[in-house]
Amino acid sequence: MSTNMNKKYDIVIAGGGVIGASCAYFLSKQKDLKIALVDLKKPGNASRASAGGLWAIGESVGLGCGVIFFNRMTMQQADATGEDLPPMRPHVLPDYFFEFALKSNAMYPGLWQELKDNHGVDFKFEKTGLKYVMYDEYDKMYADSIVDHIPGLIDQVSWLSAEELAEDEPYINKKSIGALEFKCDHQVNPYRLNEAYLEGARQNGVDLFLETEVLSIEKQGNKVIGVETDAGFIGCETLINAAGSWAAQLSKMATGIELPVYPVKGQIILSERLPKILKGCVSTTDCYIAQKDNGEVLIGSTTEEKGFDTTNTLPELKELVNGAVKCIPMLNDLNIKRCWAGLRPGTPDEFPILGEMPGVEGYINACGHFRTGILTSAITGKLINDLYRGLPLDMDITPFKYDRFLKSTDNESIKVGEADQEVEIA
Amino acid sequence: MSQISPVVIVGAGTAGISAAVELAQAGIHSIVLDEAPKIGGAVFRGPYREAIELPHLDSKLRKKISNIRQQYHDHQAFIELRLNTRVLGPAGTSSLLIRHKEEVSELTYEQLIIATGCHERSVPFDGWQIPGVMLLGGVQLQLKSGLVKPGQRMAVVGTGPLLPLVACQLHKAGVDVLGVYEAGKFSDFAKESRALLNRPVLALEGMGMLSYLKANAIPMHYGQGIVSASGEESLNKAHFAKYTDDWYPIEGTGTSLELDCLAVGYGFVSRNQLSQLFHLEHDICPISGLKPQVDAWQQSSQDNIYVAGDSVGILGGEGAMVEGRIAALSIAQTRQKVTPAQANNKADEYFTLLHKVKSFRAGFDRIGRRREGLLSLLTPNTIVCRCENVTRSAIDKVIEQGVKDITSLKMRTRVGMGDCQGKTCNSYCQDRLGHELKNPDVGHVKPRFPLDPIPFSALSDGVQL
Ligand SMILES: Cc1cc2nc3c(=O)[nH]c(=O)nc-3n(C[C@H](O)[C@H](O)[C@H](O)COP(=O)(O)OP(=O)(O)OC[C@H]3O[C@@H](n4cnc5c(N)ncnc54)[C@H](O)[C@@H]3O)c2cc1C
Ligand SMILES: Cc1cc2nc3c(=O)[nH]c(=O)nc-3n(C[C@H](O)[C@H](O)[C@H](O)COP(=O)(O)OP(=O)(O)OC[C@H]3O[C@@H](n4cnc5c(N)ncnc54)[C@H](O)[C@@H]3O)c2cc1C
Repeated sequence: MSTNMNKKYDIVIAGGGVIGASCAYFLSKQKDLKIALVDLKKPGNASRASAGGLWAIGESVGLGCGVIFFNRMTMQQADATGEDLPPMRPHVLPDYFFEFALKSNAMYPGLWQELKDNHGVDFKFEKTGLKYVMYDEYDKMYADSIVDHIPGLIDQVSWLSAEELAEDEPYINKKSIGALEFKCDHQVNPYRLNEAYLEGARQNGVDLFLETEVLSIEKQGNKVIGVETDAGFIGCETLINAAGSWAAQLSKMATGIELPVYPVKGQIILSERLPKILKGCVSTTDCYIAQKDNGEVLIGSTTEEKGFDTTNTLPELKELVNGAVKCIPMLNDLNIKRCWAGLRPGTPDEFPILGEMPGVEGYINACGHFRTGILTSAITGKLINDLYRGLPLDMDITPFKYDRFLKSTDNESIKVGEADQEVEIA
Repeated sequence: MSQISPVVIVGAGTAGISAAVELAQAGIHSIVLDEAPKIGGAVFRGPYREAIELPHLDSKLRKKISNIRQQYHDHQAFIELRLNTRVLGPAGTSSLLIRHKEEVSELTYEQLIIATGCHERSVPFDGWQIPGVMLLGGVQLQLKSGLVKPGQRMAVVGTGPLLPLVACQLHKAGVDVLGVYEAGKFSDFAKESRALLNRPVLALEGMGMLSYLKANAIPMHYGQGIVSASGEESLNKAHFAKYTDDWYPIEGTGTSLELDCLAVGYGFVSRNQLSQLFHLEHDICPISGLKPQVDAWQQSSQDNIYVAGDSVGILGGEGAMVEGRIAALSIAQTRQKVTPAQANNKADEYFTLLHKVKSFRAGFDRIGRRREGLLSLLTPNTIVCRCENVTRSAIDKVIEQGVKDITSLKMRTRVGMGDCQGKTCNSYCQDRLGHELKNPDVGHVKPRFPLDPIPFSALSDGVQL
């Protein structure tokens, strides 16, 4: 398409998942910039594969998407020590992540209204809460430990007795001993959220180059000046790398440095459409379960490092099914409609990579959102907008800058904090 | 390549069984999977069996193909047939997820032949959902069961060689056939006579059907097609008109018929869901839909996967047989069961026949190429996607918003997200977007995994705790 040849944009966003789309939306709100978004859906792109949980507290304490992984870790630990299951320590992320997650979470009610009213796309924000359902004393100990870790959020949690849980969620296994509910953790329809950002951006004047791949990046000295795509060259002043699990390839082309972003595969199971059987989202130590806006029940999700492989595999699916059937026995009489796998853009310390790259001009990272990119897409878009415009930021993003990896290269490793060493997420 | 591992073949139709037989002749074992309870595929399995009694295939070939079951029996020692077994998709990188009754399991393969056939193309028009409006295949099925006539007063509309065939079958079954409406112009058929003569016997037999229709006063209308169908509870009227070159109905040329059943046939679409789930490279084919890329030996973009028969482009029975055999020969070569010289020698005959079949088919395909006018047959309220109840106007709206590809269309409207996986609505969405954007490459409805729902119980160890 030679028409793009002479077109010069202020900003080109590479990647149109929730992160790229949110950046496009926030940056275009004032309609003062010329912005292009380039996206080719590669197999495994995360946003459309995601569960759509806005589990700000749940994810920050290692429930939801991380649960299978941490569960297995504990089992292994128990096996290794030959003891009974040790009291499991929840995988609680640092305060700055809580801030990031909670601030983003708080934006959704407004964003939902805004995108619906101004741009006509409803991303199905639903206030659901997230219940951590407990089966035994170990689960209870785990829950106690979570609550101990988050004293500042005590007004956002509530305990449900077995009776209260049974009343609230009659289809959950009656043998459960109760639940811990995170009241502010809700859900959206993730692909609708993605579409809503994109449509908002489009209506604000962003040019969408969909089904288009960024093939290489053009530079002049240390400055990015445009991207070569299969639809021609697109010139720009600034490139935003929102390429999800493929961000390392892009950063390599743009900066010579391969970001430590790599795909973490997650398999998901979706039931046939059912009448309402769940009021809220649920996490157990086996899996999480959420009934989506159209009645389908979604069960997730595995955490596997298999490169860019996106196949579904029977043993892992069985594990999810067993976890789900244990929690909601009636599922055993129902059907699985669909399974898929998506690739979370993982980083060694589980935190996103935001902001500039030392030594390169006209380049901004917005990637590495691992298992919470849906939840944190809103604040990411806002932060990137404010950063680009030199406005004061809603929060300190130092812990999310690429530089954090440089500091630790002194001791030849990219590990941040003791907690991560322990779970070896890398 | 292991010498022992059997070749896995999906589809026990013409192509699949032909491949298994050719493999057996080279001393290679195969496992043939088919969801149906019988071998033979769409045409030769049970209810469709009579199709071969009808003037559609020349007698020599008819014999060759109807021999399929016999051939299978002759080579049974090498062929493990697993019927009632549905392939649900790939599991991991070298296994299939299969379902037999309530049981779901994995089957590993080293080499795979996909021979999954085709299904009928749905073309929506005002009233297409009214009970009594049926696809040709459904009509044939009812006929062959011998118990039910699909209707008392019927018409046949669409394009292609199956139209007169079904009309003859209906008439023989005692149905009052009011007319056959072929969208292609008579002059187009005349123009294509050279191409059609690539298979002279088929062409002649086609003529035979036309004289049968004439003798029985069943009018054959060329250059005409459907406008709409109407009826309260069920069909009682269908409206036809002359078509322009682009297949827009010409005002003032309309006729209406009172009838209780309408057979509609606008061609076939390759069943490519499996090949898509394997992420094979595909080409967009205006006739067969998305079709997997294969080389002259039917080898796909993945070395160990072959595709043959209707699933790699609609060619009819002969083509399917030959393609199955060619794929098998290629595999036999990779396993060093035949020398390249032997393979080439044998394949020569197949390549020649395949070439003729393709030229013959291309004639029909040029005549029956769907034109944009078909897109004008929907009112704003006409349902395009039955599973999700998506109307034309819902699609209009998002196209206006700038949607340029099938995936976004699907995400915004839920079109194609239902249980049929877009089997029904994909054709319209593809044609519509392609037409709006003047570009046939609009993406496609991606099949989901597994291809059919599976019970949770098939994967669970039962309720615990
Ligand atoms: C199974 C699963 C469940 C999840 N559940 C949740 C959840 O409940 N809540 C939550 O908050 N998060 C969840 N996540 C995480 C969340 O989905 C991701 O963090 C988020 O989607 C990342 O968004 P992204 O835009 O960075 O990546 P993506 O959505 O992958 O988008 C990147 C896009 O860039 C494209 N691209 C890459 N390279 C190029 C190129 N060169 N040219 C053009 N385009 C390119 C890709 O194809 C892709 O379309 C889940 C993830 C998975 C896999
Ligand atoms: C309704 C209809 C009527 C037709 N009528 C005629 C006619 O009268 N004359 C003519 O020459 N041609 C006709 N054709 C075309 C004809 O089917 C062929 O050209 C030829 O027989 C195709 O052979 P094949 O092996 O490619 O496919 P088929 O013979 O159709 O075999 C494909 C097989 O694959 C199986 N299969 C598909 N997917 C799966 C899966 N996921 N798991 C397990 N099994 C699977 C199917 O059950 C089927 O048995 C007709 C086609 C259709 C659909």
